[in-house]
Amino acid sequence: MNVWLIATTVLLLSLVPCGLVCFGADSSPIDRLISFELASGINTILFLLLAQGFGRDVYFDLALALALLSLAGGLVFSHFMERWV
Amino acid sequence: MRDVVIAVLLLGAVAVELACALALLVVKDSFDRLHFLGPAATLGPVLVVTALVVENALSTNGVKAILAGGLLLLTGPILTHATARAARVRQFGHWEPLPFEEVDQD
Repeated sequence: MNVWLIATTVLLLSLVPCGLVCFGADSSPIDRLISFELASGINTILFLLLAQGFGRDVYFDLALALALLSLAGGLVFSHFMERWV
Repeated sequence: MRDVVIAVLLLGAVAVELACALALLVVKDSFDRLHFLGPAATLGPVLVVTALVVENALSTNGVKAILAGGLLLLTGPILTHATARAARVRQFGHWEPLPFEEVDQD
């Protein structure tokens, strides 16, 4: 296990608070959206670390795609959160 | 020496992301929670991308990491603003400032 995979393992723990806020009974929809956005950023970093840790170049493309799509997803959710959801 | 630099950069990135995630759990107000999206979307990715560039230099992987980190850096504030706007519209029904929030322009 190299330093990249150790960082990945520790960074995975930061998804737990995001999940607790996202699925918590007392969280508002906006709180859930905020935790989703934080989790998207963390997942992008995780893909970068995994790509380097396993030496698989293709994972870098996944991180790139996720960084692009998380913007689109976040904007769509926040747009509908304004009035309709 | 290079391994030490990479380890320190990764340690910093992981610490920032963990701190932001824990702060999200501790803080209860939505607008306060939004503040923790900032460091998670800027400082963390910058540190990780710097570590990757130290390891890979400007190879294909290094450039892809820079692109992904740059996207996070660029889109983080946009998402935060859009989310804050949505939260405010949900709370007050509109985006415009309330009467007591008007800033004196003089």
